[in-house]
Amino acid sequence: MTKAPVGSAKHRKILLPSSSIVAVMAALALPAGAEAQTSQPLTRAGTLITNTATASYDTGGGNIVTVDSNSVDMHVEELLDVTVAQNGTGDVPTAPGATAQVLSFQVTNSGNGPEAFTLTAAGNVAGDDYDPTVNGIYIDSNGNGVYDPGIDALYPVGSEPLLEPETSMTIFVVATTPATVGDGDRGIVTLTAAAKTGTGTPGTLVPGAVGEGNVGVVIGASGGTADFDHAFRVAAATVTLVKSAVVLNSFGTAIPLPGATITYTIVANVTGSGSVNDLTITDSLPPEVSYQSGSITLDGGTLTDAADGDAGRFDADTVSVALGTVPGGESRTVIFRTKIN
Amino acid sequence: MEPMMRPFLLVIAAALLPVPALAANQVALDNNVFVERIQTDDSGKQRILLEEPKTVVPGDRLVFVLNYRNGGTQPADKFVVTNPMPAAVRFAEAGGSRPLVSVDGGKQWGLLADLTVAEADGTRRAAQPADVTHVRWAFDKPIPVGGTGKLMFRGVVK
Repeated sequence: MTKAPVGSAKHRKILLPSSSIVAVMAALALPAGAEAQTSQPLTRAGTLITNTATASYDTGGGNIVTVDSNSVDMHVEELLDVTVAQNGTGDVPTAPGATAQVLSFQVTNSGNGPEAFTLTAAGNVAGDDYDPTVNGIYIDSNGNGVYDPGIDALYPVGSEPLLEPETSMTIFVVATTPATVGDGDRGIVTLTAAAKTGTGTPGTLVPGAVGEGNVGVVIGASGGTADFDHAFRVAAATVTLVKSAVVLNSFGTAIPLPGATITYTIVANVTGSGSVNDLTITDSLPPEVSYQSGSITLDGGTLTDAADGDAGRFDADTVSVALGTVPGGESRTVIFRTKIN
Repeated sequence: MEPMMRPFLLVIAAALLPVPALAANQVALDNNVFVERIQTDDSGKQRILLEEPKTVVPGDRLVFVLNYRNGGTQPADKFVVTNPMPAAVRFAEAGGSRPLVSVDGGKQWGLLADLTVAEADGTRRAAQPADVTHVRWAFDKPIPVGGTGKLMFRGVVK
């Protein structure tokens, strides 16, 4: 057997009186980093920890004697801890007046016993530009990570589900964005999860609470409660139309004589961080002018007059160009020609 | 702790207590476990308290103390004390006593700095305190009759 260099161990004096509580000097503190490993799963509440040591020795002539120490038993109490985080990164885009807007959260039981958590969602918190109207807190019933109206159930108040230790649930806060918000406005919703067994000062015992395995329940480092601010960001867009006309008569001047050509230019400017959908430019011509067939162009490209695959059409007295979705910061230019009757 | 709240556990605990090891004519090994708790007094000064715990929580720092006494009539030669780590406790350190440790359930022994652990990919890495499965002190001199001593190590509740 290898001999350990234990000369100092025999004479090491550790002043640990047998009384149950004793103050000792801070020199006995664990070296830094001794408890740095936290990736291991926590010991489950109710676990019995037993420590027993054994001594063996030779009383002479190879007579080996083995003795066991007494055993020391400790039960692992239940620790109440929770974390709340958002799913995904950054803010969630919304639009003025939009309903059924969804923020996704992750609530994790970071304690060591099964626990149920009370959830509250607050839209009226400080530090943002507007208050989202919270309509409900839903649980991801089918576990697909996406809010499914009519499938994902309202988070039950009063019968909150038990969450196993070190497991998570996906929670959706469904809200309405007020119609009055402006582009770029930010609206925070704070989701708070609180252990139903108790919250309070870390390290304190919850009076009267009995945890898994009939042990006491202790407030963990989180205080038994946690919250997270997740936010909507309004992405709105506005359209401005600028129309201009250029007259050219057969004399090469701009006098609007009968038979002169009027070239109309309509510029649609979209501004804001959002985009506009189904944007269509229409222009009804006055009876004093006649549309020149095949003259519609969009950003320089010619469009046909028929109601067909391309964006342009002329019908009766109306020119229309369907621009579809136009993001903020872009513009579209429509040009067509008419003749003065 | 509130004994009235958990009579069941107390019965179990009592049943697990071995016959006292202080039989005559042999070496007695007395095992104590303390939990280190930090207390802040009214002036904001922190002190570390050692308590004998009935209960612990994950993250609690434990001090294991083993007192031995040769109560026999012969010197105890080749004296070896072995403490298997409870499964729910991670070894931290043993101060300056430099015990032998095992990181493979007691098959091989050595100083922690000399041991390695197999990785999943077949390579070996240096053993860490968290790998320790057993702690052992092997004395190179006999314990004289009446001789006493104290061994200690620290661990953290996983």
